[in-house]
Amino acid sequence: MSLSSAVLDYLQAQPGVTFKRLYLQPPTVLAVLRRMLPHLAKNIIMAMLFMPEPFLEEDLLTWIRAEARPQRDEAMTVLEQLHILTLVPEPPTPRAYRLNTAFASSLRQALMGGGSTNSFGVPADKDAPGPKRTVEELDKWARKQWEAILYYMVGSAEREYSREGNISSGTRKLLEMGEFIIMRGGRADITKGGFTFLLQEANAQVWTLLIVYLENSESVSSIHTKSKVIENQSKDIEQLQMDPVEMLSFLFMLGSLELGQDYNTESLTKTQFHMLEDLHDFGIVYHPPDARGRFYPTRLATTLTSSDASLLSNPNSSLSMNSGKGSIILETNHRIYTYTSSPLQIAVLALFANLNSCYPNLVSGKLTKKSIQRAVEKGITADQIIDYLRTHAHPQMLKNQPVLPPTVVDQIRLWQIEGDRMEATPGFLLKQFVNANEYRETAQYAENLGVLVWRNDREHMFFVTRIEQLQQYLAKRKTQAPRR
Amino acid sequence: MVKAVKGILVQCDESIKAIIEKIDKENGNTFILEALDDENLLISSGKINELKARLKSVLTDTVKEHEEPESNSDNNEMR
Repeated sequence: MSLSSAVLDYLQAQPGVTFKRLYLQPPTVLAVLRRMLPHLAKNIIMAMLFMPEPFLEEDLLTWIRAEARPQRDEAMTVLEQLHILTLVPEPPTPRAYRLNTAFASSLRQALMGGGSTNSFGVPADKDAPGPKRTVEELDKWARKQWEAILYYMVGSAEREYSREGNISSGTRKLLEMGEFIIMRGGRADITKGGFTFLLQEANAQVWTLLIVYLENSESVSSIHTKSKVIENQSKDIEQLQMDPVEMLSFLFMLGSLELGQDYNTESLTKTQFHMLEDLHDFGIVYHPPDARGRFYPTRLATTLTSSDASLLSNPNSSLSMNSGKGSIILETNHRIYTYTSSPLQIAVLALFANLNSCYPNLVSGKLTKKSIQRAVEKGITADQIIDYLRTHAHPQMLKNQPVLPPTVVDQIRLWQIEGDRMEATPGFLLKQFVNANEYRETAQYAENLGVLVWRNDREHMFFVTRIEQLQQYLAKRKTQAPRR
Repeated sequence: MVKAVKGILVQCDESIKAIIEKIDKENGNTFILEALDDENLLISSGKINELKARLKSVLTDTVKEHEEPESNSDNNEMR
Protein backbone atom coordinates (compact mmCIF):
# COMPACT_ATOMS: atom_id res chain seq x y z
CA MET A 1 0.00 0.00 0.00
CA SER A 2 2.95 2.27 0.63
CA LEU A 3 3.70 1.83 -3.07
CA SER A 4 3.17 5.42 -3.92
CA SER A 5 1.98 7.06 -0.79
CA ALA A 6 3.23 10.38 -2.09
CA VAL A 7 0.86 10.22 -5.05
CA LEU A 8 -1.92 9.08 -2.78
CA ASP A 9 -1.37 11.94 -0.36
CA TYR A 10 -1.39 14.38 -3.23
CA LEU A 11 -4.59 12.99 -4.69
CA GLN A 12 -6.33 12.87 -1.34
CA ALA A 13 -5.76 16.57 -0.92
CA GLN A 14 -7.51 17.36 -4.20
CA PRO A 15 -11.08 18.67 -4.33
CA GLY A 16 -13.89 16.41 -5.56
CA VAL A 17 -14.16 18.28 -8.85
CA THR A 18 -10.62 17.28 -9.77
CA PHE A 19 -11.53 13.64 -9.36
CA LYS A 20 -14.59 13.99 -11.50
CA ARG A 21 -12.47 15.25 -14.39
CA LEU A 22 -9.61 12.85 -13.76
CA TYR A 23 -11.81 9.80 -13.85
CA LEU A 24 -13.02 10.64 -17.34
CA GLN A 25 -9.68 9.36 -18.64
CA PRO A 26 -9.39 5.57 -18.90
CA PRO A 27 -5.57 5.56 -18.44
CA THR A 28 -5.91 7.48 -15.19
CA VAL A 29 -8.47 5.09 -13.83
CA LEU A 30 -6.39 2.11 -14.83
CA ALA A 31 -3.31 3.62 -13.21
CA VAL A 32 -5.15 4.35 -9.98
CA LEU A 33 -6.40 0.79 -9.88
CA ARG A 34 -3.02 -0.75 -10.66
CA ARG A 35 -0.80 1.43 -8.61
CA MET A 36 -2.52 3.11 -5.74
CA LEU A 37 -4.93 0.78 -4.07
CA PRO A 38 -4.52 -1.97 -1.49
CA HIS A 39 -5.35 -5.41 -2.87
CA LEU A 40 -8.59 -5.64 -0.97
CA ALA A 41 -9.73 -2.35 -2.47
CA LYS A 42 -8.97 -3.68 -5.95
CA ASN A 43 -11.10 -6.70 -5.21
CA ILE A 44 -13.99 -4.58 -4.04
CA ILE A 45 -13.83 -2.45 -7.19
CA MET A 46 -13.65 -5.40 -9.53
CA ALA A 47 -16.58 -7.05 -7.80
CA MET A 48 -18.72 -3.94 -7.95
CA LEU A 49 -17.71 -2.88 -11.46
CA PHE A 50 -20.70 -4.35 -13.25
CA MET A 51 -23.30 -3.86 -10.54
CA PRO A 52 -26.19 -1.75 -11.76
CA GLU A 53 -27.55 -1.01 -8.29
CA PRO A 54 -25.91 0.38 -5.16
CA PHE A 55 -24.37 -2.31 -3.01
CA LEU A 56 -25.56 -2.74 0.59
CA GLU A 57 -22.90 -2.22 3.22
CA GLU A 58 -24.06 -5.33 5.10
CA ASP A 59 -23.51 -7.46 2.04
CA LEU A 60 -20.08 -5.98 1.50
CA LEU A 61 -19.13 -6.81 5.06
CA THR A 62 -20.05 -10.45 4.62
CA TRP A 63 -17.43 -10.77 1.86
CA ILE A 64 -14.62 -9.88 4.14
CA ARG A 65 -13.49 -12.01 6.99
CA ALA A 66 -14.00 -10.52 10.41
CA GLU A 67 -10.33 -10.82 11.31
CA ALA A 68 -9.35 -8.70 8.31
CA ARG A 69 -11.04 -5.67 9.78
CA PRO A 70 -7.96 -3.39 9.76
CA GLN A 71 -7.44 -4.11 6.06
CA ARG A 72 -11.10 -3.53 5.38
CA ASP A 73 -11.08 -0.19 7.16
CA GLU A 74 -7.98 0.80 5.26
CA ALA A 75 -9.41 -0.21 1.89
CA MET A 76 -12.72 1.53 2.49
CA THR A 77 -11.03 4.72 3.69
CA VAL A 78 -8.81 4.90 0.62
CA LEU A 79 -11.71 4.22 -1.71
CA GLU A 80 -13.81 6.92 -0.10
CA GLN A 81 -11.00 9.44 -0.04
CA LEU A 82 -10.31 8.95 -3.70
CA HIS A 83 -14.02 9.40 -4.35
CA ILE A 84 -14.19 5.99 -5.96
CA LEU A 85 -16.85 4.67 -3.59
CA THR A 86 -19.60 6.94 -2.43
CA LEU A 87 -22.34 6.38 0.08
CA VAL A 88 -25.69 6.52 -1.57
CA PRO A 89 -27.47 9.30 0.31
CA GLU A 90 -31.05 8.04 -0.03
CA PRO A 91 -32.33 6.19 1.85
CA PRO A 92 -29.82 6.65 4.70
CA THR A 93 -30.51 3.16 6.07
CA PRO A 94 -29.56 0.57 5.14
CA ARG A 95 -26.25 2.09 4.10
CA ALA A 96 -25.19 1.30 0.56
CA TYR A 97 -22.21 2.09 -1.62
CA ARG A 98 -21.91 2.95 -5.27
CA LEU A 99 -18.90 3.12 -7.55
CA ASN A 100 -18.22 6.56 -8.97
CA THR A 101 -19.98 6.45 -12.34
CA ALA A 102 -17.17 8.13 -14.27
CA PHE A 103 -14.64 5.83 -12.65
CA ALA A 104 -16.68 2.73 -13.42
CA SER A 105 -17.31 3.58 -17.07
CA SER A 106 -13.69 4.58 -17.69
CA LEU A 107 -12.44 1.40 -16.10
CA ARG A 108 -14.83 -0.70 -18.15
CA GLN A 109 -13.57 1.10 -21.23
CA ALA A 110 -9.94 0.55 -20.31
CA LEU A 111 -10.49 -3.15 -19.67
CA MET A 112 -12.71 -3.94 -22.60
CA GLY A 113 -11.57 -1.46 -25.22
CA GLY A 114 -13.65 1.00 -27.12
CA GLY A 115 -13.96 4.72 -26.77
CA SER A 116 -11.51 7.22 -28.16
CA THR A 117 -8.04 5.83 -28.75
CA ASN A 118 -6.32 9.15 -28.11
CA SER A 119 -6.38 8.59 -24.42
CA PHE A 120 -3.68 5.95 -24.62
CA GLY A 121 -1.43 7.99 -26.89
CA VAL A 122 -1.19 8.13 -30.65
CA PRO A 123 1.84 6.34 -32.12
CA ALA A 124 3.74 8.49 -34.59
CA ASP A 125 3.62 7.81 -38.28
CA LYS A 126 6.06 5.08 -39.23
CA ASP A 127 7.23 7.00 -42.28
CA ALA A 128 7.78 10.22 -40.38
CA PRO A 129 11.17 11.74 -41.20
CA GLY A 130 14.04 11.76 -38.73
CA PRO A 131 16.06 8.97 -37.12
CA LYS A 132 14.46 6.50 -34.72
CA ARG A 133 15.73 6.08 -31.19
CA THR A 134 16.46 2.66 -29.78
CA VAL A 135 15.58 1.46 -26.32
CA GLU A 136 19.25 1.57 -25.34
CA GLU A 137 19.54 5.20 -26.34
CA LEU A 138 16.42 6.04 -24.35
CA ASP A 139 17.71 4.18 -21.31
CA LYS A 140 20.97 6.02 -21.58
CA TRP A 141 19.19 9.35 -21.77
CA ALA A 142 16.92 8.60 -18.81
CA ARG A 143 19.78 7.35 -16.72
CA LYS A 144 22.01 10.29 -17.55
CA GLN A 145 19.38 12.89 -16.73
CA TRP A 146 18.16 11.22 -13.58
CA GLU A 147 21.63 10.63 -12.21
CA ALA A 148 22.49 14.22 -12.93
CA ILE A 149 19.55 15.32 -10.78
CA LEU A 150 20.53 13.00 -7.95
CA TYR A 151 24.13 14.00 -8.24
CA TYR A 152 23.25 17.65 -8.13
CA MET A 153 21.30 17.01 -4.95
CA VAL A 154 24.20 15.34 -3.24
CA GLY A 155 25.78 18.71 -3.57
CA SER A 156 29.05 17.88 -5.19
CA ALA A 157 29.13 20.36 -8.01
CA GLU A 158 32.02 18.69 -9.71
CA ARG A 159 32.40 20.12 -13.17
CA GLU A 160 33.34 16.83 -14.71
CA TYR A 161 30.02 15.24 -14.02
CA SER A 162 27.78 18.17 -14.64
CA ARG A 163 29.14 18.43 -18.14
CA GLU A 164 27.89 14.95 -18.93
CA GLY A 165 24.30 15.26 -17.80
CA ASN A 166 23.09 18.79 -17.64
CA ILE A 167 20.03 19.70 -15.67
CA SER A 168 18.38 23.00 -16.30
CA SER A 169 18.02 25.83 -13.86
CA GLY A 170 14.30 25.12 -13.81
CA THR A 171 14.87 21.64 -12.44
CA ARG A 172 17.28 23.03 -9.87
CA LYS A 173 14.68 25.51 -8.77
CA LEU A 174 12.17 22.70 -8.50
CA LEU A 175 14.46 20.69 -6.24
CA GLU A 176 14.79 23.73 -4.04
CA MET A 177 11.04 24.25 -3.92
CA GLY A 178 10.55 20.63 -2.99
CA GLU A 179 12.93 21.23 -0.07
CA PHE A 180 15.25 18.46 -1.22
CA ILE A 181 18.09 20.92 -1.15
CA ILE A 182 18.74 24.31 0.34
CA MET A 183 21.08 26.80 -1.22
CA ARG A 184 23.89 27.81 1.07
CA GLY A 185 26.21 30.35 -0.39
CA GLY A 186 25.43 29.46 -3.99
CA ARG A 187 25.95 25.77 -3.33
CA ALA A 188 23.28 23.14 -3.05
CA ASP A 189 23.12 21.36 0.27
CA ILE A 190 21.03 18.24 0.78
CA THR A 191 18.25 18.22 3.39
CA LYS A 192 16.55 15.46 5.31
CA GLY A 193 13.83 15.37 2.67
CA GLY A 194 16.48 15.13 -0.01
CA PHE A 195 18.16 12.22 1.69
CA THR A 196 14.87 10.42 2.12
CA PHE A 197 14.42 11.00 -1.59
CA LEU A 198 17.81 9.46 -2.39
CA LEU A 199 17.02 6.40 -0.31
CA GLN A 200 13.87 5.72 -2.23
CA GLU A 201 13.65 3.29 -5.04
CA ALA A 202 13.95 4.93 -8.49
CA ASN A 203 10.26 4.70 -9.27
CA ALA A 204 9.25 6.31 -5.99
CA GLN A 205 11.81 9.04 -6.60
CA VAL A 206 10.28 9.87 -9.95
CA TRP A 207 6.85 10.17 -8.39
CA THR A 208 8.08 12.26 -5.50
CA LEU A 209 9.67 14.72 -7.89
CA LEU A 210 6.61 14.78 -10.13
CA ILE A 211 4.36 15.54 -7.16
CA VAL A 212 6.52 18.54 -6.32
CA TYR A 213 6.28 19.51 -9.96
CA LEU A 214 2.48 19.21 -9.88
CA GLU A 215 2.15 21.09 -6.63
CA ASN A 216 4.18 23.96 -7.94
CA SER A 217 2.70 23.94 -11.41
CA GLU A 218 0.14 26.58 -10.65
CA SER A 219 2.60 28.98 -9.15
CA VAL A 220 5.41 28.64 -11.65
CA SER A 221 3.66 27.45 -14.82
CA SER A 222 6.06 25.54 -16.96
CA ILE A 223 9.43 26.08 -15.42
CA HIS A 224 11.09 26.14 -18.79
CA THR A 225 8.68 28.07 -20.88
CA LYS A 226 8.59 30.76 -18.26
CA SER A 227 12.25 31.45 -18.59
CA LYS A 228 11.84 31.44 -22.34
CA VAL A 229 9.07 34.02 -22.09
CA ILE A 230 11.41 36.33 -20.31
CA GLU A 231 13.85 35.80 -23.12
CA ASN A 232 11.43 36.65 -25.90
CA GLN A 233 8.74 38.78 -24.41
CA SER A 234 6.40 38.34 -27.35
CA LYS A 235 4.89 35.12 -26.02
CA ASP A 236 1.45 35.18 -24.60
CA ILE A 237 1.61 34.62 -20.86
CA GLU A 238 -1.93 33.37 -20.64
CA GLN A 239 -1.25 30.16 -22.46
CA LEU A 240 1.14 29.08 -19.71
CA GLN A 241 -1.65 28.26 -17.29
CA MET A 242 -0.96 24.65 -16.37
CA ASP A 243 -3.99 22.61 -15.52
CA PRO A 244 -3.18 20.02 -12.83
CA VAL A 245 -5.84 17.64 -14.08
CA GLU A 246 -4.37 17.60 -17.57
CA MET A 247 -0.91 17.19 -16.11
CA LEU A 248 -1.96 14.23 -14.00
CA SER A 249 -3.79 12.58 -16.88
CA PHE A 250 -0.70 12.96 -19.00
CA LEU A 251 1.51 11.33 -16.38
CA PHE A 252 -0.87 8.44 -15.97
CA MET A 253 -1.07 8.08 -19.73
CA LEU A 254 2.72 7.96 -19.97
CA GLY A 255 2.59 4.99 -17.65
CA SER A 256 0.62 2.99 -20.16
CA LEU A 257 2.77 3.78 -23.20
CA GLU A 258 5.24 1.39 -24.77
CA LEU A 259 8.98 1.74 -24.43
CA GLY A 260 10.80 2.28 -27.72
CA GLN A 261 7.72 3.53 -29.51
CA ASP A 262 7.49 7.18 -30.53
CA TYR A 263 4.23 9.04 -30.04
CA ASN A 264 2.63 11.92 -31.80
CA THR A 265 2.49 15.20 -29.92
CA GLU A 266 -0.58 16.36 -31.87
CA SER A 267 -3.06 14.70 -29.56
CA LEU A 268 -1.58 16.50 -26.55
CA THR A 269 -3.15 19.57 -25.03
CA LYS A 270 -1.18 22.80 -24.69
CA THR A 271 -0.41 22.13 -21.06
CA GLN A 272 0.82 18.67 -21.86
CA PHE A 273 3.01 19.94 -24.65
CA HIS A 274 4.66 22.35 -22.24
CA MET A 275 5.20 19.53 -19.81
CA LEU A 276 7.18 17.62 -22.43
CA GLU A 277 10.02 20.09 -22.05
CA ASP A 278 10.22 19.61 -18.31
CA LEU A 279 9.78 15.86 -18.47
CA HIS A 280 12.50 15.75 -21.11
CA ASP A 281 14.80 17.45 -18.65
CA PHE A 282 13.95 14.92 -15.92
CA GLY A 283 14.73 12.10 -18.33
CA ILE A 284 11.16 10.83 -18.19
CA VAL A 285 10.51 11.39 -21.88
CA TYR A 286 12.81 12.03 -24.79
CA HIS A 287 11.66 14.85 -27.02
CA PRO A 288 14.06 14.82 -29.99
CA PRO A 289 15.34 18.29 -30.80
CA ASP A 290 15.28 17.38 -34.49
CA ALA A 291 11.72 16.06 -34.52
CA ARG A 292 9.46 18.21 -32.37
CA GLY A 293 6.31 16.41 -33.46
CA ARG A 294 7.23 13.23 -31.66
CA PHE A 295 8.25 12.08 -28.22
CA TYR A 296 9.50 8.85 -26.71
CA PRO A 297 8.60 7.70 -23.22
CA THR A 298 11.67 6.36 -21.42
CA ARG A 299 11.77 3.53 -18.94
CA LEU A 300 11.19 6.03 -16.15
CA ALA A 301 7.84 6.87 -17.76
CA THR A 302 6.64 3.42 -18.68
CA THR A 303 7.21 2.11 -15.18
CA LEU A 304 5.36 5.02 -13.58
CA THR A 305 2.23 3.05 -12.98
CA SER A 306 3.66 -0.41 -12.52
CA SER A 307 4.68 -1.76 -9.17
CA ASP A 308 8.15 -1.14 -7.80
CA ALA A 309 9.12 -4.76 -7.99
CA SER A 310 8.88 -4.93 -11.75
CA LEU A 311 11.57 -2.32 -12.18
CA LEU A 312 13.85 -4.13 -9.77
CA SER A 313 13.36 -7.55 -11.25
CA ASN A 314 13.88 -6.40 -14.79
CA PRO A 315 17.42 -7.43 -15.65
CA ASN A 316 17.40 -5.32 -18.80
CA SER A 317 16.78 -2.17 -16.88
CA SER A 318 19.83 -0.01 -16.84
CA LEU A 319 18.19 2.18 -14.26
CA SER A 320 19.03 -0.10 -11.42
CA MET A 321 21.77 2.26 -10.38
CA ASN A 322 20.45 2.76 -6.90
CA SER A 323 18.28 -0.27 -6.52
CA GLY A 324 20.36 -2.99 -8.09
CA LYS A 325 23.21 -5.00 -6.64
CA GLY A 326 24.60 -3.83 -3.35
CA SER A 327 28.25 -3.12 -2.97
CA ILE A 328 28.81 -1.96 0.60
CA ILE A 329 30.79 -3.93 3.15
CA LEU A 330 30.66 -2.72 6.70
CA GLU A 331 32.98 -4.19 9.30
CA THR A 332 32.56 -4.32 13.05
CA ASN A 333 35.43 -1.85 13.44
CA HIS A 334 33.30 0.75 11.60
CA ARG A 335 35.36 0.47 8.44
CA ILE A 336 33.38 0.65 5.25
CA TYR A 337 34.33 -0.61 1.80
CA THR A 338 32.31 -0.02 -1.32
CA TYR A 339 32.85 -1.58 -4.71
CA THR A 340 31.74 1.22 -6.93
CA SER A 341 33.00 3.73 -9.40
CA SER A 342 29.77 5.70 -9.56
CA PRO A 343 30.45 9.28 -8.52
CA LEU A 344 26.88 9.43 -7.30
CA GLN A 345 27.23 6.60 -4.84
CA ILE A 346 30.57 7.91 -3.62
CA ALA A 347 29.03 11.31 -3.06
CA VAL A 348 26.19 9.79 -1.06
CA LEU A 349 28.63 7.82 1.08
CA ALA A 350 30.66 10.94 1.68
CA LEU A 351 27.61 12.47 3.33
CA PHE A 352 27.94 10.27 6.36
CA ALA A 353 31.25 8.43 6.13
CA ASN A 354 34.81 9.57 6.34
CA LEU A 355 36.25 8.36 3.04
CA ASN A 356 40.00 8.11 2.90
CA SER A 357 41.03 6.16 -0.15
CA CYS A 358 39.62 5.76 -3.61
CA TYR A 359 40.67 3.10 -6.12
CA PRO A 360 39.32 2.60 -9.63
CA ASN A 361 36.54 0.31 -8.42
CA LEU A 362 36.67 0.65 -4.66
CA VAL A 363 36.39 3.34 -2.05
CA SER A 364 37.14 2.77 1.59
CA GLY A 365 36.53 4.82 4.65
CA LYS A 366 35.27 4.77 8.18
CA LEU A 367 32.12 5.73 10.01
CA THR A 368 33.16 8.08 12.76
CA LYS A 369 31.31 9.97 15.42
CA LYS A 370 32.14 13.15 13.60
CA SER A 371 30.98 11.99 10.18
CA ILE A 372 27.71 10.62 11.52
CA GLN A 373 26.96 13.69 13.58
CA ARG A 374 27.74 15.89 10.61
CA ALA A 375 25.06 14.01 8.69
CA VAL A 376 22.65 14.19 11.62
CA GLU A 377 23.16 17.92 11.73
CA LYS A 378 22.01 18.16 8.13
CA GLY A 379 18.83 16.43 9.16
CA ILE A 380 19.69 12.93 7.98
CA THR A 381 18.62 10.44 10.62
CA ALA A 382 20.52 7.44 11.89
CA ASP A 383 17.75 5.18 10.67
CA GLN A 384 18.10 6.57 7.17
CA ILE A 385 21.82 5.87 7.18
CA ILE A 386 21.28 2.37 8.49
CA ASP A 387 18.59 1.78 5.88
CA TYR A 388 20.90 2.96 3.16
CA LEU A 389 23.70 0.68 4.32
CA ARG A 390 21.34 -2.25 4.61
CA THR A 391 19.71 -1.86 1.20
CA HIS A 392 23.06 -1.42 -0.48
CA ALA A 393 24.88 -4.17 1.37
CA HIS A 394 27.20 -6.43 -0.60
CA PRO A 395 25.82 -9.91 -1.40
CA GLN A 396 28.41 -11.37 0.98
CA MET A 397 27.06 -9.16 3.76
CA LEU A 398 23.54 -10.33 3.03
CA LYS A 399 24.55 -13.84 4.11
CA ASN A 400 24.97 -12.54 7.65
CA GLN A 401 22.06 -12.43 10.02
CA PRO A 402 21.53 -9.59 10.82
CA VAL A 403 23.00 -8.01 7.72
CA LEU A 404 24.85 -5.17 9.42
CA PRO A 405 27.03 -5.69 12.50
CA PRO A 406 24.73 -4.86 15.44
CA THR A 407 27.48 -3.04 17.31
CA VAL A 408 27.94 -0.55 14.49
CA VAL A 409 24.20 -0.07 14.07
CA ASP A 410 23.81 0.62 17.79
CA GLN A 411 26.76 2.97 17.73
CA ILE A 412 25.28 4.99 14.86
CA ARG A 413 22.06 5.35 16.81
CA LEU A 414 23.93 6.33 19.97
CA TRP A 415 25.89 8.96 18.10
CA GLN A 416 22.69 10.43 16.83
CA ILE A 417 21.10 10.49 20.29
CA GLU A 418 24.13 12.28 21.65
CA GLY A 419 23.44 15.20 19.38
CA ASP A 420 19.69 15.00 19.62
CA ARG A 421 18.20 13.74 22.83
CA MET A 422 14.54 13.83 21.99
CA GLU A 423 12.18 12.56 19.38
CA ALA A 424 9.75 15.10 17.99
CA THR A 425 6.60 14.11 16.11
CA PRO A 426 4.26 16.75 14.73
CA GLY A 427 0.57 15.96 14.98
CA PHE A 428 -2.48 16.31 17.17
CA LEU A 429 -3.32 15.50 20.76
CA LEU A 430 -6.84 14.26 21.27
CA LYS A 431 -8.40 14.51 24.69
CA GLN A 432 -11.61 15.10 26.64
CA PHE A 433 -13.49 12.12 25.37
CA VAL A 434 -17.06 11.83 26.55
CA ASN A 435 -16.67 8.35 27.97
CA ALA A 436 -14.24 5.47 28.18
CA ASN A 437 -15.96 3.68 25.34
CA GLU A 438 -15.54 6.53 22.92
CA TYR A 439 -11.90 6.88 23.91
CA ARG A 440 -11.13 3.21 23.56
CA GLU A 441 -12.78 2.75 20.20
CA THR A 442 -11.34 5.91 18.69
CA ALA A 443 -7.86 5.06 19.91
CA GLN A 444 -8.28 1.57 18.49
CA TYR A 445 -9.32 3.03 15.16
CA ALA A 446 -6.31 5.35 15.15
CA GLU A 447 -4.06 2.41 15.93
CA ASN A 448 -5.50 0.41 13.05
CA LEU A 449 -4.87 3.32 10.73
CA GLY A 450 -1.28 3.42 11.91
CA VAL A 451 -1.38 7.08 12.94
CA LEU A 452 -1.28 6.54 16.71
CA VAL A 453 2.03 7.51 18.28
CA TRP A 454 1.33 7.64 21.98
CA ARG A 455 -1.58 6.93 24.28
CA ASN A 456 -2.35 7.34 27.92
CA ASP A 457 -5.22 5.10 28.91
CA ARG A 458 -5.52 6.56 32.40
CA GLU A 459 -5.90 10.15 31.26
CA HIS A 460 -7.85 9.21 28.13
CA MET A 461 -5.63 11.06 25.71
CA PHE A 462 -3.71 9.98 22.65
CA PHE A 463 -1.50 11.54 20.01
CA VAL A 464 -1.82 11.01 16.25
CA THR A 465 0.21 12.12 13.27
CA ARG A 466 -2.80 12.75 11.05
CA ILE A 467 -6.27 13.79 11.97
CA GLU A 468 -8.39 13.89 8.79
CA GLN A 469 -9.61 10.31 8.93
CA LEU A 470 -10.24 10.51 12.66
CA GLN A 471 -12.38 13.58 12.17
CA GLN A 472 -14.46 11.67 9.67
CA TYR A 473 -14.66 8.76 12.04
CA LEU A 474 -15.78 10.92 14.94
CA ALA A 475 -18.36 12.69 12.79
CA LYS A 476 -19.68 9.33 11.65
CA ARG A 477 -19.89 8.15 15.23
CA LYS A 478 -21.93 11.17 16.12
CA THR A 479 -24.49 10.48 13.43
CA GLN A 480 -24.70 6.85 14.44
CA ALA A 481 -24.95 7.55 18.13
CA PRO A 482 -28.75 8.11 18.31
CA ARG A 483 -29.33 4.64 16.94
CA ARG A 484 -27.60 3.04 19.87
CA MET B 1 -16.77 16.84 23.21
CA VAL B 2 -13.45 15.61 21.92
CA LYS B 3 -10.78 18.25 21.70
CA ALA B 4 -7.83 18.16 19.31
CA VAL B 5 -4.71 20.17 20.04
CA LYS B 6 -2.19 20.73 17.27
CA GLY B 7 1.38 20.45 18.44
CA ILE B 8 4.54 18.42 18.49
CA LEU B 9 4.88 15.37 20.65
CA VAL B 10 8.32 15.23 22.20
CA GLN B 11 9.41 11.90 23.58
CA CYS B 12 12.54 11.89 25.72
CA ASP B 13 13.83 10.52 28.99
CA GLU B 14 13.07 12.12 32.33
CA SER B 15 16.36 13.96 32.62
CA ILE B 16 15.87 15.66 29.27
CA LYS B 17 12.30 16.44 30.16
CA ALA B 18 13.54 18.20 33.28
CA ILE B 19 15.89 20.33 31.18
CA ILE B 20 13.12 21.19 28.73
CA GLU B 21 10.90 22.21 31.61
CA LYS B 22 13.66 24.40 32.95
CA ILE B 23 14.14 26.05 29.53
CA ASP B 24 10.39 26.55 29.33
CA LYS B 25 10.24 28.14 32.76
CA GLU B 26 13.11 30.51 32.01
CA ASN B 27 11.43 31.66 28.82
CA GLY B 28 8.00 32.51 30.10
CA ASN B 29 6.37 29.10 29.49
CA THR B 30 6.19 29.54 25.75
CA PHE B 31 7.40 26.09 24.72
CA ILE B 32 5.33 23.51 26.54
CA LEU B 33 1.64 23.31 25.78
CA GLU B 34 1.05 20.37 28.04
CA ALA B 35 3.13 17.96 30.08
CA LEU B 36 1.64 14.57 29.28
CA ASP B 37 3.58 12.25 31.56
CA ASP B 38 7.12 11.54 32.72
CA GLU B 39 8.52 11.05 29.24
CA ASN B 40 6.16 12.91 26.93
CA LEU B 41 5.51 16.58 26.33
CA LEU B 42 3.36 18.51 23.91
CA ILE B 43 5.33 21.38 22.43
CA SER B 44 3.94 24.29 20.51
CA SER B 45 4.40 23.79 16.74
CA GLY B 46 6.55 26.75 15.82
CA LYS B 47 8.91 26.39 18.74
CA ILE B 48 10.56 23.05 18.17
CA ASN B 49 13.69 24.26 16.38
CA GLU B 50 14.40 26.90 18.98
CA LEU B 51 13.89 24.35 21.72
CA LYS B 52 16.28 21.90 20.02
CA ALA B 53 18.93 24.58 19.72
CA ARG B 54 18.58 25.59 23.37
CA LEU B 55 18.62 22.00 24.55
CA LYS B 56 21.74 21.36 22.53
CA SER B 57 23.60 24.28 24.03
CA VAL B 58 22.67 23.15 27.53
CA LEU B 59 23.79 19.61 26.74
CA THR B 60 27.09 20.49 25.08
CA ASP B 61 28.00 22.53 28.13
CA THR B 62 27.51 19.50 30.36
CA VAL B 63 28.86 16.85 27.99
CA LYS B 64 32.19 18.57 27.45
CA GLU B 65 32.96 18.51 31.13
CA HIS B 66 32.55 14.76 31.10
CA GLU B 67 34.65 14.11 28.03
CA GLU B 68 37.75 15.98 29.09
CA PRO B 69 38.68 13.89 32.13
CA GLU B 70 37.91 10.70 30.20
CA SER B 71 40.47 11.35 27.49
CA ASN B 72 43.02 12.29 30.13
CA SER B 73 42.54 9.02 31.94
CA ASP B 74 43.02 7.16 28.65
CA ASN B 75 46.37 8.79 28.21
CA ASN B 76 47.38 7.94 31.71
CA GLU B 77 46.64 4.30 31.18
CA MET B 78 48.74 4.22 28.07
CA ARG B 79 51.68 5.64 29.90
